[in-house]
Amino acid sequence: MKQLAALQQQARRSNSFRSASSPSDSASDASIKSPATIFWLIIHGICCLISLVLGFRFSRLLFFLLFSTSSSPPATIYSALKTTLPSSAAVSPPERNASAASGGSRVVVGRHGILIRPWPHPDPAEVMKAHKIIERVQTEQRSQYGVKSPRTVIAITPTYVRTFQTLHLTGVMHSLMNVPYDLVWIVVEAGGTTNETASLISKSGLNTIHIGFDGRMPVLWEDRHKLESKMRLHGLRVVREKKLDGIVMFADDSNMHSLELFDEIQNVEWVGAVSVGILAHSVGSEEGESTMVQSDNRKNDLEKSEMPVQGPACNSSNHLVGWHTFNTLPFVEKSAIYIGHRAVVLPKKLEWAGFVLNSRLVWEDSTERLDWVKEFEEVLRGGEDVESPLSLLKDASMVEPLGSCGRRVMLWWLRVEARADSKFPARWIIDPPLDITVPAKHTPWPDTPPELPSSVEKVEKVITIPENTERRATKGGSRRKRRSKKKRTAK
Amino acid sequence: MGSMERSKKKVHLLKKGIFHFLLCFVMGFFTGFTPTNKASTFSSRVTMSLPSSYSPQPIEVFHPSTTQNLNRSVSNDTRPREGQIRNFKKSIIHEERKNEDINPRRLVIVVTPTSTKNKLRGVLLTRLANTLKLVSQPLLWVVVEQKSDDSEVSEILRKTGIMYRHVVFKENFTDVDSEMDHQRNLALNHIEHHRLSGIVHFAGLSNVYDISFFEEIRAIEAFGAWPIARLSPNRKKVIIEGPVCEYSEVMGWHLNRMKDMTDTRTLSIHISNFAFNSSILWDPERWGRTSSVQDTSQNSLEFVRKEVLEEETELKGIPIESCSKVLLWDLHIF
Amino acid sequence: MRNRSWCFALLLYFAFCSRIEAFKFHRTQQTERISGSAGDVLEDNPVGRLKVFVYELPSKYNKKILQKDPRCLTHMFAAEIFMHRFLMSSPVRTLNPEEADWFYTPVYTTCDLTPNGLPLPFKSPRMMRSAIQLISSNWPYWNRTEGADHFFIVPHDFAACFHYLEEKAIERGILPMLQRATLVQTFGQQNHVCLKDGSIIIPPYAPPQKMQAHLIPPSTPRSIFVYFRGLFYDVGNDPEGGYYARGARASVWENFKDNPLFDISTEHPTTYYEDMQRAVFCLCPLGWAPWSPRLVEAVIFGCIPVIIADDIVLPFADAIPWEDIGVFVAEKDVPKLDTILTSIPIDEILRKQRLLANPSMKQAMLFPQPAQERDAFHQILNGLARKLPHDESVYLKPGEKILNWTAGPVGDLKPW
Repeated sequence: MKQLAALQQQARRSNSFRSASSPSDSASDASIKSPATIFWLIIHGICCLISLVLGFRFSRLLFFLLFSTSSSPPATIYSALKTTLPSSAAVSPPERNASAASGGSRVVVGRHGILIRPWPHPDPAEVMKAHKIIERVQTEQRSQYGVKSPRTVIAITPTYVRTFQTLHLTGVMHSLMNVPYDLVWIVVEAGGTTNETASLISKSGLNTIHIGFDGRMPVLWEDRHKLESKMRLHGLRVVREKKLDGIVMFADDSNMHSLELFDEIQNVEWVGAVSVGILAHSVGSEEGESTMVQSDNRKNDLEKSEMPVQGPACNSSNHLVGWHTFNTLPFVEKSAIYIGHRAVVLPKKLEWAGFVLNSRLVWEDSTERLDWVKEFEEVLRGGEDVESPLSLLKDASMVEPLGSCGRRVMLWWLRVEARADSKFPARWIIDPPLDITVPAKHTPWPDTPPELPSSVEKVEKVITIPENTERRATKGGSRRKRRSKKKRTAK
Repeated sequence: MGSMERSKKKVHLLKKGIFHFLLCFVMGFFTGFTPTNKASTFSSRVTMSLPSSYSPQPIEVFHPSTTQNLNRSVSNDTRPREGQIRNFKKSIIHEERKNEDINPRRLVIVVTPTSTKNKLRGVLLTRLANTLKLVSQPLLWVVVEQKSDDSEVSEILRKTGIMYRHVVFKENFTDVDSEMDHQRNLALNHIEHHRLSGIVHFAGLSNVYDISFFEEIRAIEAFGAWPIARLSPNRKKVIIEGPVCEYSEVMGWHLNRMKDMTDTRTLSIHISNFAFNSSILWDPERWGRTSSVQDTSQNSLEFVRKEVLEEETELKGIPIESCSKVLLWDLHIF
Repeated sequence: MRNRSWCFALLLYFAFCSRIEAFKFHRTQQTERISGSAGDVLEDNPVGRLKVFVYELPSKYNKKILQKDPRCLTHMFAAEIFMHRFLMSSPVRTLNPEEADWFYTPVYTTCDLTPNGLPLPFKSPRMMRSAIQLISSNWPYWNRTEGADHFFIVPHDFAACFHYLEEKAIERGILPMLQRATLVQTFGQQNHVCLKDGSIIIPPYAPPQKMQAHLIPPSTPRSIFVYFRGLFYDVGNDPEGGYYARGARASVWENFKDNPLFDISTEHPTTYYEDMQRAVFCLCPLGWAPWSPRLVEAVIFGCIPVIIADDIVLPFADAIPWEDIGVFVAEKDVPKLDTILTSIPIDEILRKQRLLANPSMKQAMLFPQPAQERDAFHQILNGLARKLPHDESVYLKPGEKILNWTAGPVGDLKPW
């Protein structure tokens, strides 16, 4: 149809052109200016045009019959946007196809060219546009199938500056950055806030509350667990004071998260529990999984039976009946006591990370006072023994098991640290850069992959070589030239 | 004026009319024979809105019997033309950019081998996915695994929303390191076969990245290297390995003693230490090399490793200001 | 004066004829286009609107053939078998031929597979001929109309032309015996000798249970821009290249293999169905014939089909708004595929996805066991019902003969 319109427009245009440019034709009749003459003149013009079009079409037809071998069909006026047009546009007109066979078929049968475009292949602009489209499609999918009217996620993370901090905290930060909901990140730092931590978490671009906590991180694991509990409670106090509304989760920097977790916790009403996969770091020792006394042993429900899991245990009718805990028995002798102790770091009976709370639980004078929840201040005053969020509850059976009743593991726990006396470059900037170098010419990379039997861990004494600070002498003049010649992007 | 005269005039007019029609017909007839591109200006209103229809006629190539040869010949055919057409395209792109905030970035190709021998495969893959999801597009993640009935890896990948290619292989390996190298080679073969153009980086499952790392490596022309911090639990020392630079020029290397000895794990360290422009795989001539590419398809990884060492003039330190900042950590557990 | 106006009228007529011609034939294909959102026609229930009489043929025409090769139940042409089974127990079936609107001859002409599972249509003409001879001599209904109120399921590549090479198929043309019958076929291309006016185009058979088993949640983020798995070059049958898929598939590979957004390969991964569900666009280029099972897969998995097959006539085009759910790309435009796809407005893409999510669209593509409401079986019946009542002209005058029983290649005339 577009085509037709274009033609008509064209007709109109050249019509006016004709009447303007060929006055000599009508000069003789110019004296007679009766409307009839003008009418006939216009008719004349139109007829001329029509014959022009006819001639054009006729020649095209002939063109096709002559060069009918198909391959490069004429660049007709078909739009590239086939989709928006009715199918009529997507289909070529019959006169295009030369009849190749008997039986009246107008279908081209035979060899066709393989069209290869000469312009750059992945067009960077198109690539970006396509990514935009994918992004929009994914957003649409989330809004259609995702959680409706999501609540704010409030993540509480206890941390402190140490060798492994950047590594651990970056991982948690990346999980949180992917959360598609509103999020408040409360970072509680032992020993007061530092710039080190602040600059790290500022990279997230998240809404963060960075607060300090009195007391240095102790060296004994046992004390450490206690201090961290206090830090989390300190974080909860912030939630209480600021009346933050949402779902509180405890994202330790020793955690790894599947993004599904953040969708799943949206289902919690008051207190929820999820399973935590325990990646007990050990030196070749076997770790076992078992359930606590009161829970029936339902190992098979857990998808990854080889990985110990901590979390809610359900019966067949999906009711909470107890807790899976990490079986510490095999490790009584081998458990790590202090930071850097080369033994298995054991999780607490139930890690905080496995619980999520509705933030209103800790609000002062919350209107929806639940009789099975203790008053937050009371708990704080009560003393040291807040081992897990269960301590906040009078009745632990009210906990909602999440993640298909704990069968799905969406959260993992991996506690590893360097030795307490370990040092690392401040903000990971190597300064001074050179005390340990080898000339680049003699790079230590093996020329052949050593297909040697994998040796047992013996990195113990690995130190960087402090022997050679000599700079590379040759700068490869000829090579340099070549490089400048070849300097071009691979865009 | 008699009726005779009037009818005569009528005939005259008719003659003139028919003459005009014929003239126009012939005119139209010949217009039809003009090249098709010109014909499209006939309907300028429609084509104007579709810049792509102005693009030159796609050239026609009848492909020879083997596709492998075809790939080469085709690309050779197209290269000389690329320049002029790129200019032409650029103008279009330029116009479009005015409308939208589209800033083309270079493709980052992240290669991750996964072994079933790594018990933490699923968890670490999830963690790495969380990081890669934050990297600005375009990014292509090539994940390799051994073919199995277990859909763990595909399920994790599928949920991430990252653009990835999942490469599987059938061979069995007893040695983790040769399996890893095999997997990396498969990924490189995929890149080579598809002639994907971008910066290739090998990301091990135990790596943890600062997001800015991926922006930094986009600046690589040919090869790039950076420091990597290796952390092991319960130890005092932090091992930093990588280049030593003056600005972005690589002057030397940090290394550790274990290299010269028999520690096979050095391989996995080094592999995450550098990145390179993928065109080295499928277009080495472009890099001034006549080296026989044919052999490399067997072991592209070795080829790349060697190239990184040989071409240190093209080796760029990352981050650009003297490559002294660690943006990549490798946690060595289990 | 009169002369001149006549001349003018004539010229005007010609001028417009030449333009309109291009649009005309689509109208005939899409008589009952539904407007706006999909599904109005798809919701029709054929029961009560037509009656079908199923001829009883010796089992050598159907069941025995199937027994010989049970693979026929799973390949792309299985519709002929399932349609038979469906009709046997369908409420539209009548046992009284006198009251029937349509007659169905259950003959499995496509169920003759090579060891590789490719169908061989060489015996099909003779078999079909034999079946027709049988029904025309045992019942009076064929001779009454010479098949004009009979329908046949011919799901082969080039349908009732019964040859897998297009050139040969065109040479052969539709089997002379079937000139007046209504054909139910997968093949559909405009202006093709193998597509008779009034044929009902159906989707190829795709295993519904298997597809069901691979469904993943619709919330799974779509992270592939363009997806395709299949051949680009058919080196075995087309060593020269350019015949297969009229060069279109080769063009896809050559132009887009190096594009990270185009996830295209010849290898079929185990996650093929899952991958389609996380792709935005799925390429459905022609192969040897214009249709492909990818069309069905794309619709089932909510992936926007990018149809590259000039002049294709799509399944149930009178009920399914293909232009609304798919993208049509002319074969010559394949080199511009990326531009074409990225310049589709996002709202258009989202709208297509919403339409594809419509269950009645998916249902119409499937031949489930047992049959379900609105499935492809019902759509075939709907199509047949819409052709009723039969035109008076289908009934022959006593003694009138139109079909030439001895036309066609001599080989076809041999007894089966």
